[in-house]
Amino acid sequence: VEEQLANTLKVQRAIHDLTQAELAERAGITRRSVNAIETGRMVPSVLLALKLARVLGVPVETLFALDGGSGSAPAE
Amino acid sequence: MDSETIERSQLFDRVQRRSMVALAVITLILGGAGLTLALTPAGAVGNPANLQWWLLPVVIAALARLLSTAGGRHFAPDSPEVKTLLQDEWRRSNLLRASRTALVVVLIGQWPLGLALGFLTHPQLTPPRIASAMAAGTIMLGVVTLVSLFLYYNRE
Repeated sequence: VEEQLANTLKVQRAIHDLTQAELAERAGITRRSVNAIETGRMVPSVLLALKLARVLGVPVETLFALDGGSGSAPAE
Repeated sequence: MDSETIERSQLFDRVQRRSMVALAVITLILGGAGLTLALTPAGAVGNPANLQWWLLPVVIAALARLLSTAGGRHFAPDSPEVKTLLQDEWRRSNLLRASRTALVVVLIGQWPLGLALGFLTHPQLTPPRIASAMAAGTIMLGVVTLVSLFLYYNRE
Protein backbone atom coordinates (compact mmCIF):
# COMPACT_ATOMS: atom_id res chain seq x y z
CA VAL A 1 0.00 0.00 0.00
CA GLU A 2 1.39 3.41 -0.97
CA GLU A 3 1.93 5.68 1.98
CA GLN A 4 0.70 9.24 1.82
CA LEU A 5 1.00 12.25 4.05
CA ALA A 6 -2.20 13.10 5.88
CA ASN A 7 -2.53 16.50 7.49
CA THR A 8 -4.86 18.37 9.79
CA LEU A 9 -3.74 21.80 8.69
CA LYS A 10 -7.23 22.94 7.74
CA VAL A 11 -8.65 21.83 11.08
CA GLN A 12 -5.85 23.46 13.06
CA ARG A 13 -6.24 26.60 11.01
CA ALA A 14 -9.94 26.69 11.82
CA ILE A 15 -9.23 26.13 15.53
CA HIS A 16 -6.87 29.10 15.51
CA ASP A 17 -9.31 31.12 13.40
CA LEU A 18 -6.75 31.84 10.69
CA THR A 19 -7.27 32.28 6.98
CA GLN A 20 -4.89 30.64 4.52
CA ALA A 21 -3.37 34.04 3.81
CA GLU A 22 -2.83 34.79 7.51
CA LEU A 23 -1.20 31.43 8.16
CA ALA A 24 0.96 31.87 5.06
CA GLU A 25 2.09 35.31 6.19
CA ARG A 26 3.00 34.04 9.67
CA ALA A 27 4.91 31.07 8.29
CA GLY A 28 6.65 33.13 5.61
CA ILE A 29 5.23 31.19 2.66
CA THR A 30 2.62 31.93 0.02
CA ARG A 31 -1.10 31.24 0.29
CA ARG A 32 -0.75 28.86 -2.66
CA SER A 33 1.65 26.76 -0.58
CA VAL A 34 -0.83 26.52 2.29
CA ASN A 35 -3.55 25.59 -0.18
CA ALA A 36 -1.34 22.95 -1.84
CA ILE A 37 -0.46 21.37 1.52
CA GLU A 38 -4.08 21.33 2.69
CA THR A 39 -5.27 19.67 -0.50
CA GLY A 40 -2.47 17.11 -0.35
CA ARG A 41 -0.79 18.25 -3.58
CA MET A 42 2.39 19.29 -1.79
CA VAL A 43 4.50 17.41 0.72
CA PRO A 44 6.29 20.09 2.74
CA SER A 45 9.92 19.87 3.76
CA VAL A 46 10.76 19.08 7.39
CA LEU A 47 11.69 22.72 7.88
CA LEU A 48 8.36 23.98 6.58
CA ALA A 49 6.40 21.37 8.55
CA LEU A 50 8.16 22.45 11.74
CA LYS A 51 7.56 26.10 10.92
CA LEU A 52 3.83 25.50 10.45
CA ALA A 53 3.66 23.51 13.68
CA ARG A 54 5.41 26.34 15.54
CA VAL A 55 3.07 28.96 14.09
CA LEU A 56 0.03 26.90 15.10
CA GLY A 57 1.52 26.01 18.47
CA VAL A 58 1.08 22.24 18.08
CA PRO A 59 3.54 19.32 17.78
CA VAL A 60 4.39 18.48 14.18
CA GLU A 61 2.85 15.00 14.66
CA THR A 62 -0.49 16.69 15.25
CA LEU A 63 -0.26 18.31 11.85
CA PHE A 64 1.27 15.55 9.75
CA ALA A 65 1.29 11.77 9.81
CA LEU A 66 1.61 8.87 7.41
CA ASP A 67 -1.66 7.74 5.96
CA GLY A 68 -1.91 4.17 4.64
CA GLY A 69 0.74 1.48 5.01
CA SER A 70 1.87 1.16 8.61
CA GLY A 71 1.29 4.82 9.49
CA SER A 72 -1.68 6.42 11.14
CA ALA A 73 -3.65 9.61 10.61
CA PRO A 74 -2.54 12.65 12.60
CA ALA A 75 -4.18 13.24 15.96
CA GLU A 76 -6.69 16.08 15.98
CA MET B 1 -2.32 40.55 11.72
CA ASP B 2 -0.73 42.82 9.15
CA SER B 3 -3.43 42.87 6.48
CA GLU B 4 -1.35 45.29 4.41
CA THR B 5 1.44 42.71 4.07
CA ILE B 6 -1.05 39.97 3.16
CA GLU B 7 -2.67 42.19 0.57
CA ARG B 8 0.71 43.12 -0.91
CA SER B 9 1.77 39.45 -1.03
CA GLN B 10 -1.38 38.46 -2.90
CA LEU B 11 -1.05 41.41 -5.24
CA PHE B 12 2.55 40.49 -5.99
CA ASP B 13 1.52 36.90 -6.63
CA ARG B 14 -0.93 38.13 -9.28
CA VAL B 15 1.72 40.47 -10.73
CA GLN B 16 4.16 37.60 -10.95
CA ARG B 17 1.67 35.38 -12.82
CA ARG B 18 0.85 38.25 -15.15
CA SER B 19 4.56 38.76 -15.80
CA MET B 20 4.98 35.10 -16.69
CA VAL B 21 2.15 35.33 -19.22
CA ALA B 22 3.69 38.52 -20.65
CA LEU B 23 7.06 36.74 -20.93
CA ALA B 24 5.46 33.91 -22.89
CA VAL B 25 3.68 36.36 -25.21
CA ILE B 26 6.84 38.43 -25.81
CA THR B 27 8.82 35.24 -26.50
CA LEU B 28 6.15 34.11 -28.96
CA ILE B 29 6.23 37.45 -30.77
CA LEU B 30 10.03 37.71 -30.90
CA GLY B 31 10.46 34.00 -31.68
CA GLY B 32 7.81 34.21 -34.38
CA ALA B 33 9.56 37.24 -35.88
CA GLY B 34 12.92 35.45 -35.75
CA LEU B 35 11.47 32.33 -37.32
CA THR B 36 9.75 34.32 -40.07
CA LEU B 37 12.95 36.25 -40.72
CA ALA B 38 14.93 33.04 -41.07
CA LEU B 39 12.36 31.35 -43.28
CA THR B 40 11.44 34.30 -45.53
CA PRO B 41 14.16 36.97 -45.33
CA ALA B 42 12.64 38.86 -48.25
CA GLY B 43 9.22 39.03 -46.59
CA ALA B 44 7.58 41.88 -44.71
CA VAL B 45 9.38 41.12 -41.44
CA GLY B 46 12.76 41.16 -43.19
CA ASN B 47 12.15 44.51 -44.83
CA PRO B 48 14.07 47.16 -42.81
CA ALA B 49 11.55 49.80 -43.82
CA ASN B 50 8.83 47.93 -41.92
CA LEU B 51 10.86 47.56 -38.77
CA GLN B 52 11.59 49.93 -35.94
CA TRP B 53 14.15 47.76 -34.15
CA TRP B 54 15.26 50.65 -31.96
CA LEU B 55 11.80 50.49 -30.37
CA LEU B 56 12.42 47.01 -29.00
CA PRO B 57 14.52 47.96 -25.91
CA VAL B 58 12.11 50.82 -25.18
CA VAL B 59 9.11 48.47 -25.32
CA ILE B 60 10.86 45.88 -23.12
CA ALA B 61 11.85 48.53 -20.54
CA ALA B 62 8.31 49.96 -20.51
CA LEU B 63 6.81 46.47 -20.09
CA ALA B 64 9.23 45.63 -17.27
CA ARG B 65 8.29 48.85 -15.49
CA LEU B 66 4.59 48.23 -16.04
CA LEU B 67 4.78 44.64 -14.80
CA SER B 68 6.74 45.51 -11.65
CA THR B 69 4.07 48.03 -10.70
CA ALA B 70 0.50 47.13 -9.81
CA GLY B 71 -2.21 49.39 -8.49
CA GLY B 72 0.31 52.22 -8.16
CA ARG B 73 2.60 50.06 -6.00
CA HIS B 74 6.16 49.25 -6.92
CA PHE B 75 7.67 45.95 -5.83
CA ALA B 76 11.32 46.27 -4.84
CA PRO B 77 13.43 43.10 -5.23
CA ASP B 78 14.32 43.13 -1.52
CA SER B 79 10.78 43.66 -0.22
CA PRO B 80 9.39 40.93 2.11
CA GLU B 81 6.62 39.81 -0.30
CA VAL B 82 9.10 39.40 -3.15
CA LYS B 83 11.50 37.43 -0.93
CA THR B 84 8.68 35.22 0.36
CA LEU B 85 7.50 34.42 -3.12
CA LEU B 86 10.97 33.73 -4.51
CA GLN B 87 11.85 31.43 -1.61
CA ASP B 88 8.48 29.68 -1.59
CA GLU B 89 8.84 25.89 -1.60
CA TRP B 90 5.75 25.15 -3.70
CA ARG B 91 6.75 27.70 -6.33
CA ARG B 92 10.32 26.41 -6.50
CA SER B 93 9.29 22.79 -6.83
CA ASN B 94 6.82 23.70 -9.57
CA LEU B 95 9.45 25.71 -11.41
CA LEU B 96 11.84 22.76 -11.18
CA ARG B 97 9.18 20.33 -12.45
CA ALA B 98 8.29 22.68 -15.30
CA SER B 99 11.93 23.24 -16.30
CA ARG B 100 12.64 19.49 -16.31
CA THR B 101 9.66 18.83 -18.55
CA ALA B 102 10.51 21.80 -20.78
CA LEU B 103 14.04 20.43 -21.24
CA VAL B 104 12.64 17.06 -22.33
CA VAL B 105 10.18 18.77 -24.69
CA VAL B 106 12.99 20.88 -26.21
CA LEU B 107 15.25 17.86 -26.66
CA ILE B 108 12.49 15.76 -28.24
CA GLY B 109 11.38 18.76 -30.33
CA GLN B 110 14.77 19.04 -32.02
CA TRP B 111 14.10 16.06 -34.26
CA PRO B 112 10.78 17.19 -35.83
CA LEU B 113 11.99 20.80 -35.90
CA GLY B 114 15.21 19.87 -37.72
CA LEU B 115 13.33 17.60 -40.06
CA ALA B 116 10.73 20.25 -40.88
CA LEU B 117 13.23 23.05 -41.41
CA GLY B 118 15.80 20.93 -43.23
CA PHE B 119 13.60 19.02 -45.63
CA LEU B 120 10.08 20.40 -45.75
CA THR B 121 10.81 24.05 -46.53
CA HIS B 122 10.65 25.23 -50.12
CA PRO B 123 12.98 26.54 -51.42
CA GLN B 124 15.60 24.68 -49.41
CA LEU B 125 17.13 26.85 -46.68
CA THR B 126 20.87 27.42 -46.34
CA PRO B 127 22.54 25.84 -43.25
CA PRO B 128 23.00 29.19 -41.40
CA ARG B 129 19.35 30.00 -41.96
CA ILE B 130 18.31 26.55 -40.74
CA ALA B 131 20.44 27.09 -37.62
CA SER B 132 18.80 30.50 -36.98
CA ALA B 133 15.33 29.06 -37.43
CA MET B 134 16.17 26.12 -35.18
CA ALA B 135 17.45 28.51 -32.49
CA ALA B 136 14.35 30.72 -32.67
CA GLY B 137 12.04 27.69 -32.68
CA THR B 138 13.86 26.04 -29.78
CA ILE B 139 13.86 29.15 -27.58
CA MET B 140 10.20 29.76 -28.32
CA LEU B 141 9.25 26.14 -27.60
CA GLY B 142 11.31 26.02 -24.41
CA VAL B 143 10.13 29.27 -22.85
CA VAL B 144 6.47 28.81 -23.77
CA THR B 145 6.47 25.23 -22.45
CA LEU B 146 8.23 26.29 -19.25
CA VAL B 147 5.87 29.18 -18.54
CA SER B 148 2.70 27.25 -19.46
CA LEU B 149 3.63 24.25 -17.33
CA PHE B 150 4.68 26.43 -14.40
CA LEU B 151 1.38 28.32 -14.46
CA TYR B 152 -0.48 25.01 -14.73
CA TYR B 153 1.39 23.34 -11.85
CA ASN B 154 1.21 26.47 -9.70
CA ARG B 155 -2.54 26.88 -10.07
CA GLU B 156 -4.95 26.55 -7.15
